[in-house]
Formats: sequence, C-alpha cells, structure tokens
Amino acid sequence: MTHELLSGLSSAEAEQVLALGTRVIVPGETSLFRLGDPADRLFLVERGRIRLTLPMPVRGREENIFVEERNPGQAVGWSALIPPYRFTLTASAALSEAKVMALPREALLKHFVENPEAGYKIALNLAVVIGHRLQLFQTMWLREMQRTVEVRSA
Amino acid sequence: MRRYKMLFSGLVMVGAGAYLFCASPLWFVWLTGCFLWCVGIAVGIAGAAVPLFVLQEPVPPTGFFMGRVANPTIMPSRQVPIEVLLLQIENHVRLEQAAAESFLAFPTHDHLHSKTPSPLVN
Repeated sequence: MTHELLSGLSSAEAEQVLALGTRVIVPGETSLFRLGDPADRLFLVERGRIRLTLPMPVRGREENIFVEERNPGQAVGWSALIPPYRFTLTASAALSEAKVMALPREALLKHFVENPEAGYKIALNLAVVIGHRLQLFQTMWLREMQRTVEVRSA
Repeated sequence: MRRYKMLFSGLVMVGAGAYLFCASPLWFVWLTGCFLWCVGIAVGIAGAAVPLFVLQEPVPPTGFFMGRVANPTIMPSRQVPIEVLLLQIENHVRLEQAAAESFLAFPTHDHLHSKTPSPLVN
C-alpha cells in the first residue's frame, strides 16, 4: 500500500518508517482519539475508513458533526507533529472496523534526525496534506460566508 | 362576495337599462335600454337565487397534496428527526467538500461560487 505521507521514499526507507509503528484495530464506530486528547501518535490508515468529527450543539444536544473522512493510504492525526500536540478533531472508525498504523512522535522525530533525507521528504508530504486541508476548508468557509451574505442581504 | 357577483351584474344591467330608457330620445337606444332592463332583472333574480338554493362544494386548498405527502429532503427542520438532520448535515459537508475539491482542481470564479444541491441550504 502507498501512504501519502511516505510518497517519494524508497521502499526500504518506507519500511524503516513503518517499522517504528504498531498496528491498531479500531472497531466500528469506536473512537481512535478525541478532540483535546494529547497527540502523541500519528496514524496511517491501512484498512477501513476513519471519520473526523467536531462537536456542535444541535437542538440543545451536543452532536458529533461529520467533517471529513480518511481512507486507506491517508494520514490521520498530524497534530502529533505540530505543537501544541493536541488533537483538534475527534476520529473514529466508520461503521466497519478500521486498521491503522500508529507511529509514535518520539520515534518519528528520532528517525528524522538519524535520516534527514527521509525526514525532509515526509515533512514535505505532510506540508502537502496540511496545505490541501487548509485550501479545502478555506474554500468551504468562503462558500458558507457567501451563503450567509446572500441570506442577510436578501 | 363571489357568490353575489351575478346579482350585482343584474343590478348594474337594470340601472344601465333604466338610464338608457329614460335619457335617450333615439328609438334604438330606447329599445336597447328596455332590453338591458329586462335582461338585468332576469340576471338579478338568478343571481339572488343561486346563493340561496345551490349548495357550494368546498374548494380544495391550493397544493392539496403538499400538506399530506412528507418530503424527507425539504421538511422543515423542526419536523425532521435528529438522525435525519445529522445525515443532511453530513451530506451537505460531503457536497461542499466535493465543490471545494472541484474548485481546487480548476480554480475559477464559477467553480468557487457554484450552487449546491444540498437540501440543507435550498
């Protein structure tokens, strides 16, 4: 399987990174991490789908509102590499169970120091993931703003 | 008011007929006035009788089926069960994400402001 975060790495380099992690099975509709939890592990989705949600009050009740879904090959929880190392979303497996590779932050950072070239490629891949997310939500935010303005000026 | 429309028409015809009958010296106008007066009386009597003796059928409201058939996609949010509302929100987010992805692939003004078919905002 090709992981977006390991793109551009040789298979040997990718294997070295994957060897740092442990596989975690997340049963269906079970949380992988919650909003505000300490982010000490980065996850690579290997099987199933991970739903990212944010809490929002709906009719006086707090509901987890769907934000995004991550599929096999994609990364979840890059807050583990970005200060203040707290998850800013809640992640849970979709209806069926999911399998993820959990990469501890400390082990990853140590590996980057020892293998700066691999660390550089992973950092670039991470920038692509974060940049895409930023552009996506910037666009969605503008579309919602447009709708608000239309409603207000109608 | 609609029920007495015929009666009013009859009365107007009687008035117009009487005016023409009395006011004009021309024979054909005089004849027309006479005719209008007679027809007006007939229409007036018929107009008075219709609301008294003919039962009116209830008129169905406009959009008769609108209030009876539930449309799950456009029901007012207060009637929608919370599970349905949450699904609508999720569907809306997915549609918006697809629209945003489309904009990022081809960044044009039209893609940025394309309309969504999401029932949540329509």
